[in-house]
Amino acid sequence: MSSSAIDADGDALDLVCQLDNVQGIVDALTSVRWKRHQDAVVELSEHGIVLIVEESSCLQAKVYLQKELFVKYEYSAEGRPRFGVSLGLFVDCLNTFSVPGNSNSIEIRYPGPDMQLLLKSVDSLDACIYAEVRTRIPDTISWDYNFEPAGSTPLHFTVKSAALKEAIDDLEWPGSNIQITLQPNPPCVTFRGEGHGDLQIDFMYYANTDLLIAFSCDRQISYRYKYKFLRATTANIPGSVIRDNRGSKLTIGRGGMLKVQHLVSVAKPPVSHSHVDYAGYQQPSRIAYIEFFVKPEVDDNTVND
Amino acid sequence: MKFKANLTDHGVNLLEKRFLPALDKMGKICHLYLTRDHFFFLHNLLNGDGIQSIAQFKKEALFEDYRISSQNEDRIAFAIDLSLLHRALRSIITVYAEFSSHGVGGVVSNQIQIRLVKKLPAHSQQPTPFLTFETKGYKSAVIQDVPISKPLSRADMAELQAALDTAQEMPRTLVKVRDMNQLEQFVDRMKHVGDVMNVSISKYGDLHLQISTTLITLGAEFRKLLVLGEQAEVPRGEGNLSAQTRTQRAIQRGDAMIVQVSVKHFFKSLQCHLAKPDCAFYGITSQGACLTVIFQFFVPGTRQTDKSISLHCRLPVLDPGSN
Repeated sequence: MSSSAIDADGDALDLVCQLDNVQGIVDALTSVRWKRHQDAVVELSEHGIVLIVEESSCLQAKVYLQKELFVKYEYSAEGRPRFGVSLGLFVDCLNTFSVPGNSNSIEIRYPGPDMQLLLKSVDSLDACIYAEVRTRIPDTISWDYNFEPAGSTPLHFTVKSAALKEAIDDLEWPGSNIQITLQPNPPCVTFRGEGHGDLQIDFMYYANTDLLIAFSCDRQISYRYKYKFLRATTANIPGSVIRDNRGSKLTIGRGGMLKVQHLVSVAKPPVSHSHVDYAGYQQPSRIAYIEFFVKPEVDDNTVND
Repeated sequence: MKFKANLTDHGVNLLEKRFLPALDKMGKICHLYLTRDHFFFLHNLLNGDGIQSIAQFKKEALFEDYRISSQNEDRIAFAIDLSLLHRALRSIITVYAEFSSHGVGGVVSNQIQIRLVKKLPAHSQQPTPFLTFETKGYKSAVIQDVPISKPLSRADMAELQAALDTAQEMPRTLVKVRDMNQLEQFVDRMKHVGDVMNVSISKYGDLHLQISTTLITLGAEFRKLLVLGEQAEVPRGEGNLSAQTRTQRAIQRGDAMIVQVSVKHFFKSLQCHLAKPDCAFYGITSQGACLTVIFQFFVPGTRQTDKSISLHCRLPVLDPGSN
């Protein structure tokens, strides 16, 4: 099982990396699957791997897998290689390697002789699973979102991921928009949906400190977002995030652009002989960062800006 | 044409808990083929397309007091719906078990008897054949009738026997799979990727499965498996090459064979694990005619093959492999 970073022609491969918890990566990537067919763009760098998906210039998601998540990360490319891959296919393929009961270590190499992404299990010498995923030259990302702060004081709040998901699920009305309002006095976040009647969910900063963990806002602002895009930001949060009950941070930038950030644990599950300290504390390097950007609905009724 | 036998407790266990659940997965309809010494469940031997399955029992494995007679060398064959058979057997067993366990003062003699009969079904003037199960209940005999096809003619039975003879052909090289679970888990996850799977088996003891579409190639290789039959030494210096490369080279040397089978068929054949075999052997028959999987059963508590029961499947090959 040689893992030299040289391919058959003697050129160095752009990337040879190894991870020891495939399920964690599957969880992180699954959180940005909101449709059956999604084309993702993957960017490799010396810092790690970023995977980007977007829809109709209104919704974009990024998964950051920094190199510290990997047991091994050998980067030899010049510049930052980018390629396109089918997200669903890639996740289903990774899932094949994640067999309960086995230690799921895989090696990923790029590029193969035909610019494929090459995966191979490295657990055992006598049984091996491998995959070659076809890649494409990626389309340029059509939407340059350019997230900027809304003003001198940042506008953001952090809410428990489980509560956020539940609130968004509850606000489901067909074809509706969801209005998110932040107000400083009293500090409060309101989600409001209009349909046959209306539903409003308030997170009061001082009342529910176990739900609303952080809050920063110096003036009232309010924006509307299409329900289906907002829903995409929480629909596939992995069960582990809900169980860990981490916070998800929502930030409103200039023009009402919404940024939603989640943290997904990619830690190896505890094994009796492992030296990883897993008593509820996650080392920062075992966390994948997920970011969503949602464009606001713009119409004449917008309250601000 | 007569058939009558008593199912033993061992037979009941073998059928109801192990073989019928597995054979159910092979197909709803199968042939039962009864001879003087053996009892067979045969799937798809007479029609070309599906996965073939042959379950063979020596009569003593299932029955006592086995009596059979017919004008065709005491052989009888007919088609039966396995789900109906399974359901009838389950319900007879319930009655049998209840009554037997309530015996007062000593052993209650009770049997499950199985017989071939001709009866008048409801709303019909024409007697039709049934396989009948009978046992004693609390107050009366309990009978379950399973409708069967007309017994096969002499000509059809000859065809069935010929198909059975062909199906007994052994591949020259067989590799032993230790962990059927691992194989099943892998194929379960692979099966959504594509419909067709390449299977190659080498004389070195390698089993290599691969599914390939325009967008993805997914494969699993199991090496250093025990080999029965024709074997060969692994050539030196190839250990580090990819599974695909090693397989290609082995085929070129004549040390391996490769065939294409349907993923659905392969997955179906893995359901035979419900019969609780101790291991499975995979092989490709000569000229790549089919992929054979033979399930081995040990005498409980030993590592001796139980020769009274056997189960094997033959998967049709979709495209001749390059041998």
